[in-house]
Amino acid sequence: MFPTIQVGPLNLQAPGFIIIIALWVGLNLAEKFAKRRSYPTDKLYNLVFISLLTGILGARLFFILGNLNSFTGNINNIFSLNPGLLDPFGGLVAAMLAAVIYGQRNKLHFWETLDVLTPLFAVMMIGIGLSHLASGNAFGTVTSMPWGVNLWGAKRHPSQVYEMIASFVTLTLIWHDLSKVKFPGLVFLKFSMITLIWIILIEGFRGDGQAVLAGIRSGQIGAFVILAIVFFTHEKRLSKGETIGKGDVKNG
Amino acid sequence: MNRDFRIFFYVAILTLSLIWIYFSRIPVEATSESGKMAPHTGFLAPEISLLDTHGNEIKLTELRGRPVIVNFWATWCPPCRAEMPAMQRVEMDYADEEVIILAVNSTNQDSLPAVTQFIDEFGISFPVVLDTQGIAANTYQVSSLPTTFFIERDGMISDVVIGGPMAEALLKSRIDRMLKRTP
Repeated sequence: MFPTIQVGPLNLQAPGFIIIIALWVGLNLAEKFAKRRSYPTDKLYNLVFISLLTGILGARLFFILGNLNSFTGNINNIFSLNPGLLDPFGGLVAAMLAAVIYGQRNKLHFWETLDVLTPLFAVMMIGIGLSHLASGNAFGTVTSMPWGVNLWGAKRHPSQVYEMIASFVTLTLIWHDLSKVKFPGLVFLKFSMITLIWIILIEGFRGDGQAVLAGIRSGQIGAFVILAIVFFTHEKRLSKGETIGKGDVKNG
Repeated sequence: MNRDFRIFFYVAILTLSLIWIYFSRIPVEATSESGKMAPHTGFLAPEISLLDTHGNEIKLTELRGRPVIVNFWATWCPPCRAEMPAMQRVEMDYADEEVIILAVNSTNQDSLPAVTQFIDEFGISFPVVLDTQGIAANTYQVSSLPTTFFIERDGMISDVVIGGPMAEALLKSRIDRMLKRTP
């Protein structure tokens, strides 16, 4: 666990710093992949930048709306740099809305765009695992396995390391597909399938899970439902590709 | 891969997932349910037993039943100084709700005269305890000042904020959340 990193006189928050590095690395990989697929890189950068900016603004707005009393008499706190004054769900909704609106206005192909962004998503997943390791969040259940780590007063599964390894394996598995794409959407859907299977598996080793009923973890149930939807979408895309030919799918 | 094989693959993965979801249900000893103490969200707050600036002993466990904000700080730390006025205002605003702010001074890296001067300068009315040996900071694995722990009425840590200065709105939102959870 290393929640802060000392760089000279600066004491950086390690989890946030790791996420920024992962974003930068992922965006560079996505740019390389976009060039290979003749996707406009300027639009890719604009899409990511606009989504991020809108996401941050949306996260703050949602937080303010949900905690109006906290800002009474502290109007200037609206502009505070505290990351604790952000609502992650609100940020995600705002970022996705901004991405869809930007994509539609610039006539970006939906599946092609998701494919191009997949290297970014894959690197971000590695970054999230590493940031969990830094903060000590997403810690594992108690174990007697020899590779267990001492954390929060017990020997636990190194679930954050599992996360990182799984995300790295996912990136390696999809890397091969990046160079030989049959038709748009398959890279993203394959990434989603592998990632969701990892989530269902690794969530089972986490000690901080939230139960929905009788100890069943909400994270696993959510991932299971999304996995079923991804399987369905994958099958539909493949069936469409097999029926009407690759070129038609790519354009539609 | 033909369609039939794909369908079989999807069904097999979903079935295996369901089996794993059932067998990996949350064990009772996973977090604080077994009463484990650790300086992290979801665990019971470890004990702090220190003397305040008047020589009175203050024990964290004796404050159970009231929401407590434990703030590790030092006089030489600029973000600590910056967030103190907000903490003082919050202490006054939430006096009726019995919210306690416990400021743990890292006295092993500070000096007592500087602490008393600081208390007078900022008009601090909440208890300030002196961590002269650095034991509390060590127990709470404090790696950076300020570090703030939000502890619920039942002694459970609900949030940890590393670094600062914390905005007043952040303090109030966390306190409101604690008050809503355990009325």
